Amino acid sequence: MAKKKEKLIPAEYIPDVGSHVLTIDKVKYLIANDAMYTFYQRSKGELSPFFLGLRDDKKIFGCKCPKCGLVRCPPFLTHCPDCDFAPTRIVEVGQVGVMLSTPPITYFANSLFLKMAPYGRGRVVLEGADTALSVNVYTTTGILAPGIIKKGTKVKVIFRDDRSGEISDIFCVPVSELTKAQVAKKGLLSSQINWEAAVEPTLKKATAAEQEIYKKALKEIKAVIRLMNETERARKDIMGWKREIQVKTTGGEFAIIINNGDISLAEKKLTKPDFIMVAKSPKTLADGLAYRGAITDSVIMKRLWISKNMEFTTIFKLDRMARSVARSKK
Amino acid sequence: MSKRVGIVGAAVTPFKAKWNEKTYYELAQMATREVVKDAKISIKDVDSVFYAIYNDIFERTCIPEHALHGLIGMQNKFGTRVSTGGATGAYTISAAHAYLAAGRFKTALVLGVEKCTDCFDFMSMSATPEVIKSIGWSADSFFEQRLGWTAADSYAEVVLAYMDEHPKDLKPEVTAKISSLLSQYVKTNKFAQRQHDQVTPQEVMNSRLVVYPFKELEICVYTEGAAALILAEEETAKAISKNTGKPIVWITGLGEANEHSFAGKNQKVMPRIMSDYIASHQAYKMSGIKNPRKSIDIVELHDAFVHQLEITMSEFDLVPRGNADALIDEGLMLPGGEYLVNPCGGLIYSGHAVGASNIMSAWSARNELIKRKKKTAIVHGTGSTIAQYTAVCILEHD
Repeated sequence: MAKKKEKLIPAEYIPDVGSHVLTIDKVKYLIANDAMYTFYQRSKGELSPFFLGLRDDKKIFGCKCPKCGLVRCPPFLTHCPDCDFAPTRIVEVGQVGVMLSTPPITYFANSLFLKMAPYGRGRVVLEGADTALSVNVYTTTGILAPGIIKKGTKVKVIFRDDRSGEISDIFCVPVSELTKAQVAKKGLLSSQINWEAAVEPTLKKATAAEQEIYKKALKEIKAVIRLMNETERARKDIMGWKREIQVKTTGGEFAIIINNGDISLAEKKLTKPDFIMVAKSPKTLADGLAYRGAITDSVIMKRLWISKNMEFTTIFKLDRMARSVARSKK
Repeated sequence: MSKRVGIVGAAVTPFKAKWNEKTYYELAQMATREVVKDAKISIKDVDSVFYAIYNDIFERTCIPEHALHGLIGMQNKFGTRVSTGGATGAYTISAAHAYLAAGRFKTALVLGVEKCTDCFDFMSMSATPEVIKSIGWSADSFFEQRLGWTAADSYAEVVLAYMDEHPKDLKPEVTAKISSLLSQYVKTNKFAQRQHDQVTPQEVMNSRLVVYPFKELEICVYTEGAAALILAEEETAKAISKNTGKPIVWITGLGEANEHSFAGKNQKVMPRIMSDYIASHQAYKMSGIKNPRKSIDIVELHDAFVHQLEITMSEFDLVPRGNADALIDEGLMLPGGEYLVNPCGGLIYSGHAVGASNIMSAWSARNELIKRKKKTAIVHGTGSTIAQYTAVCILEHD
């Protein structure tokens, strides 16, 4: 069950040795790339039955206090503090449960989880347990939007195919998105459920009126991009960042090119874009860039489709630039 | 009988998104230089120091205070550190108070410092994801870190659970108005990170979702800076006050509580911030406050998130639980309302230099009590996963 051979810290996260000088008010400051790292070989100790259960047997364990009867899952203790430290015993709990409360959804993740976003993390009370287990929650139908999983939503634990004895070996999806047989199956694997593939939306041919809307929106987008390039704060937002984005909307398509502090628009089709944006209405992107609503929110609310979820990072940068221009105007 | 303890000096450095010009050594010394100047004493007159520093990773060293002790002039004197997440500053004030009230020392320096945006993510070429990661190491290492836990998503858990119970409260237009109001207050705080960042409620509503339900302009910002207080027992405080001509602001109440870090039956009650409730009510009791709605004039509340500000105000019994929107809808925190809330701009606009933040809040509360000739303020710190920790201080100006 061990994961395929990989490094504890992926090479892509490790910066090169380097330094540079920053001048502020004519004074030079030395800035160096640096890291603080420690490796561990750590036992899961008394928690081992729980993590071995996830890894080897696709089972979930809790612990039961014989005095008060409370079943805690996860079983993070061996003696019940509510009953003068009476010893608890390991018990198996169910693989279906309900959400204790509505789970948050992270769109802007920490640097280790950028590839995972957007994701939900909530607490599930599994059948047979009294306390809640922290889990990631997903939908099988694409990007997790608010309202899909709420307090009381019945969810099923799914086991990743490749497990290493960590809490991330499992996650939950709504029971309503599974078949009865899948819900009943213990140890259901991620590969045994149907994940809706990311399919690029098709756009219909624009009417004459839509062509006019496109022209108007394109004009505005060009103007905003020009302004972004003239705004120091906005340029800083994309310093060190390079992306070529193909934008497709009803009425036409164009490219947005981000190149280490510069942003430009080109009315062309890219041969190898880093990612594709599709918006039914060109106004969606124009509004976002002009700070009349976040582009991030348009992706979440499915007004704008992106071909790679990881590119939320670029979307955040575009939102940040829109705000920087707005701030600079004040 | 414990001794009375008062604040006789306070200072902050500018709070900035990034201090390339200074290390945390210099920020700490800068705040110390300013606070002894404010109290018109020499550092030689200070008996003890209580360091408020949250995260070793930010300072890129374990026990980061060891390097500070000599350079702030406290060689061979008492020094200890408190680290309780976002509540670090308020807890540190509480610790210093306990030593002074017990008669161990006559004076104490409370010194908070944090340098967070040295953390840098080379993948996105920006600081924020790495700062969030560094905070992420504060999550439970067995059951949460690998799930992408962040401070924001853990507080969002509490907020969403509250909204499950009270779906008509914490309306987006109200949270937007609160954020906009704080952005107006910050205009007079020349030390604030976002002194000139005034936003309309519409701009708040339009800002992007970071962690549902939090929008970018409803979240505190990461900050580098330092803040310091001089506390003294009664007789010493009176002597210092006579010298400075500034009134003493007494610490008359303190309360602290830490909740369970796991949720469910007999554990954390997710829709509540019980630590806020317990700590504030302990502090009210200690200072003899029977009706906080009548007694509290100024609130300096740790607003990690606007939604949490509203919930905390309800846990303080300053607005009904389930109708925290009355803060705006009924004008309780609007100018001319019952309470002045976060006149410094809060952590959302002043900035959140974690260990220093609550000390900055106490600095602001002291200034406002004196300037506005008001009697009572409450200063608050919240921290750790799912708003687990709280420390609260009641300040009174006689």
